[in-house]
Amino acid sequence: MTSARLLGSLILRPLRRDRLRSGLTLLSVALGVAVVVAIDLAGEAATGSFRSSLRTLVGSTDLEITANGGMDETWIARLAALPFNARFAPVLETQAEIPGAGAFPLYGVDTLAGARPPAALPAGIDPDRALFVSQPLAARLSLHPSASLTLLLNDRPQTFQVAAVLPAEAEAEYLVLDVAAAQKALNAYGKLDRIDVYVSPREDFARVEQAIRGLLPPGYLIERPGARSQENQRMLRAFRWNLRVLSYISLVVGAFLIYNTIAVSVVRRRAEIGILRALGATRAGVFWLFLGEALMFGLLGSLAGVALGRFLASSIVGLIASTVNSLYASSRPAPISLGPAEILAGVVAGALVAFLSAFAPALEAMRVPPTEAMSRGAHEHHARLHWRRGLLWAALLAALALAASRARPVAGNPLGGYTAALLAIGAAALAAPALVLLVNRLTRAAARRLFGPEGLLAGRSLAASLSRTSVVAAALATAVAMMASVGIMVGSFRETVLVWLDTQLRADLYLRPAGRTTAGQFPALSAELQPVVAAVPGVEAVDVFHGLEFLYQGDRVALGGGILEIVRRYGRLRFLPGEDRDAILRSLPGQDRCIVSEPFANRHGVRPGARLALPLGGRVVPVTVAGVYYEYSSSQGYIVLDRSTLLKYLPRQPPTNLAVYLRPGADRRSVRREIERRVAGYRVVVAPNQALRQNAMAIFDRTFAITWALEGVAIIVAMLGAANSLLALVLDRRRELALLRYLGASAPQVRRMVLLEAGFVGLLGNTLGLALGAVLSLLLIFVVNKQSFGWTIQFHPPVGLLSAALLLVWGATVLAGLYPARVAARLNPSEVIHEE
Amino acid sequence: MFSSGEARCAPRYNGYSLTTSPRLELRRVSKTYPGNGQPLQVLHEISLEVPAGAVTALLGRSGCGKTTLLNLAGAMDFPSSGEVLIDGRATSSLNDADLTLLRRRRIGFVFQFFQLLPTLTVLENVELPLLLAAARGAREAALDRLRWVGLEEKAAVLPYQLSGGQMQRVAIARALVHSPDILIADEPTGNLDTASGDQVLALIRQAAARFGAAVLMATHSAEAAAIAALRVRLRDGRIESLERS
Ligand SMILES: Nc1ncnc2c1ncn2[C@@H]1O[C@H](COP(=O)(O)OP(=O)(O)O)[C@@H](O)[C@H]1O
Ligand SMILES: [Mg+2]
Repeated sequence: MTSARLLGSLILRPLRRDRLRSGLTLLSVALGVAVVVAIDLAGEAATGSFRSSLRTLVGSTDLEITANGGMDETWIARLAALPFNARFAPVLETQAEIPGAGAFPLYGVDTLAGARPPAALPAGIDPDRALFVSQPLAARLSLHPSASLTLLLNDRPQTFQVAAVLPAEAEAEYLVLDVAAAQKALNAYGKLDRIDVYVSPREDFARVEQAIRGLLPPGYLIERPGARSQENQRMLRAFRWNLRVLSYISLVVGAFLIYNTIAVSVVRRRAEIGILRALGATRAGVFWLFLGEALMFGLLGSLAGVALGRFLASSIVGLIASTVNSLYASSRPAPISLGPAEILAGVVAGALVAFLSAFAPALEAMRVPPTEAMSRGAHEHHARLHWRRGLLWAALLAALALAASRARPVAGNPLGGYTAALLAIGAAALAAPALVLLVNRLTRAAARRLFGPEGLLAGRSLAASLSRTSVVAAALATAVAMMASVGIMVGSFRETVLVWLDTQLRADLYLRPAGRTTAGQFPALSAELQPVVAAVPGVEAVDVFHGLEFLYQGDRVALGGGILEIVRRYGRLRFLPGEDRDAILRSLPGQDRCIVSEPFANRHGVRPGARLALPLGGRVVPVTVAGVYYEYSSSQGYIVLDRSTLLKYLPRQPPTNLAVYLRPGADRRSVRREIERRVAGYRVVVAPNQALRQNAMAIFDRTFAITWALEGVAIIVAMLGAANSLLALVLDRRRELALLRYLGASAPQVRRMVLLEAGFVGLLGNTLGLALGAVLSLLLIFVVNKQSFGWTIQFHPPVGLLSAALLLVWGATVLAGLYPARVAARLNPSEVIHEE
Repeated sequence: MFSSGEARCAPRYNGYSLTTSPRLELRRVSKTYPGNGQPLQVLHEISLEVPAGAVTALLGRSGCGKTTLLNLAGAMDFPSSGEVLIDGRATSSLNDADLTLLRRRRIGFVFQFFQLLPTLTVLENVELPLLLAAARGAREAALDRLRWVGLEEKAAVLPYQLSGGQMQRVAIARALVHSPDILIADEPTGNLDTASGDQVLALIRQAAARFGAAVLMATHSAEAAAIAALRVRLRDGRIESLERS
């Protein structure tokens, strides 16, 4: 007999007969794969588009020169004097808001020197007001040459005239000004953000690079193009890893279900396997037969999953992109691209999961002796004896998990934490049979008293099919554990952030330029605003804060400068235990000293007393770390100097925020109205403390929305599994159920019995899941999060939410039992007996 | 024996008192299965009164319709035409709840294969009909029946540890635990060696003779037929002969 024929008759035919169960298994694999594919595609699209759209405009550069805080434009002339055939192009880069349309990159480039925008302006357009618009943006806003357009730049609206529409690749939406016009518009005379270098192919590139380095001050950075995009990718790595790992949950739950399906199929067909073996089928043949069944589920399920994933990706890409924008850097989602590589990856993932989860049951099938005629009762009796062994293995895995959780991160990845989580799941699955027996024994008397003979029968039948009950319980427990652990983690994090916001946001009012707030963007406030605000009656103090994007050892961080004496007097900044807040803040003004946020300290292994070499403008300044403070808004980290120190090295750095402290007894609303009146000529937002907090929490919740969605899918997959397994239990016990009817059981009694089984499985899944979830949450909080993002989260389990969720899952499990219960109640007993 | 059951032996189904009508009667019963494509008529106008206190044997080749007839008689299935009357009342006129009650109080079943629930102990298996009916005194009644079939010492054992004959005796104990007045047995000795078969037959005869049940038993074996007061021979769904002894 060929194995193809075998597969046909032994595997495919029963699968076709059990269409619903096969469909449920396929669906759960498909959902698992879909989630993985969707997260990957959406993550890629949401974070993969940092490539400056300028590239398409000016062609590819060879080197980029940048400096923290910008650079002086006079360097262009000095660089051009170098005896090489190279061109140096000035670039300003910022974000412009078009009211009603959104924020877009605005580039200031040398329109006269070789770049593609037409050198000659149409007649009648003021060169300082001439704006070039990329074709896709012009099309979207229906802009034509000589149309006028108002942009919000920093805190000022300014009107420009469209000089030309620039051809650009699809979806590249940006604006261009001549560099001089941009400097004027941004009030940044003589300043550049970047110098792009184009080297003639005939020059010795290394020598040119060396000469440039020799000429420029040490604080300037010379990078190959793409370095920036790589920095972004690196910065987002932990974020994407966390998402990816979350997306694997559903796949893990799916693995349990494939295991379950194949194990059921082996148990059901033991006699058939025995006959086959007696007829001469080899052990390997039987092994591959069942692996073949699993692979079929894996392949078909993942093909469907890839398609579904592509579809899901487009609905979540916006969500991920908004998180990236508010936490990391401004990006705009790229189109989702599902290439052969992604399809292959999805299918391989599904097939691999299928293969691994079917391995054990297939081995068991292989070991069925040709003389096999054992009844299920005896077989399960066998399984019951193994719970002790399972418990021992569980203890071993738990010990290994503990060891793994102590490991240091590998290249910034908390691999040890992830391994520990996986081991803990394995331990829980192995401990499941013992738990099933234990809970069964503990609840036996109560079940009988409460539910009578249905309780007795349900409890017995679950204990009798111990291996199967355990797998369903473990699958459900995994999903519940993921939900519980992420719930505990997010709940704790949220509480931590709430408490932190309270210490961080002590001022009454905050001013910033209007327009979208995006991580990595620091639009400037006009310098004259501070005295205006300070003069408003009722204002006690105004803290001026300067924020700027800052490159530190190849890491994008944020550098800030504030009036730390005001922070000391009015604020409540919290430092790590053992550090003296007052002394630290007193020690900063006028000194080359800084404080750093906890994530920065953890990322760079910095403690108080350490010296940082900060490239500020052209100079590299040694700065002493005075203290480490708690901060949760950026995993990249903050370095904060006193304003006096910052301005000493970057004298032209504009302020970005004002924090206004009111006199005691001053009426916050009337002061706010007065400030708004006096700064009416500027486009700034005057926000009360409350609004900032709410905004921060909104960002927080948005960030974790996707996490919740992933949890939901894992739970749904587990539910499908529960329904699937209960249905298998019902179908396998048709004769028993029919017999019960002959013995006087009513249809409602049979239905109640199956629902009780569902309830019991749900109870087990929840109990085990909660225990596992608590362990996983500790791993998430103290290992994974700490190592990935560097912050300390206080443990605050959201008890109410968690209990509600568990109750919901339990209810859903019982609901998942409704269909199998209906099937059981509707069996026609005389027909079932006739089948014998 | 039957100490606790005896009192409950009087007919009491849904308030019906003992009437002149026979306990179990089939009137021109036909049964047709839809089959695939062509309907299959299994029973043709069978009329039969099953006497109380005696064994009625249903004889005939495999496939002649014995099991079908037993299912109709036990109200587990309904005739396509004709009536199955229990105490003069047609089973087809009863709703699901009434049928369940009928089974719980009046009817016991014994099968050839697959008798016992593998996950319940012997005692629990025997108790089960009373538990399902929420009747009191289940444990005592079950122990009583087990004693009667001589398997009291196996009460706490799981079925897979029993021999085939022992299983069948437990099944009979269970079929009679609620003191039914109708016992339906489908080839109860079909799967047993002679010695075990004889034991089972003795029990079935007692159920009829000593406890007054109307026993309807399908069988192949001559030994089984020998205990019957009435032998009904079926052939292709029709009664071939009726023979009293
Ligand atoms: N539920 C059913 N559906 C279709 N055909 C059936 C069903 N039950 C019995 N039959 C058919 O009716 C005939 C009689 O069966 P059965 O009463 O079991 O005979 P016996 O018990 O005498 O061996 C057989 O041909 C059988 O295939
Ligand atoms: Mg039969």
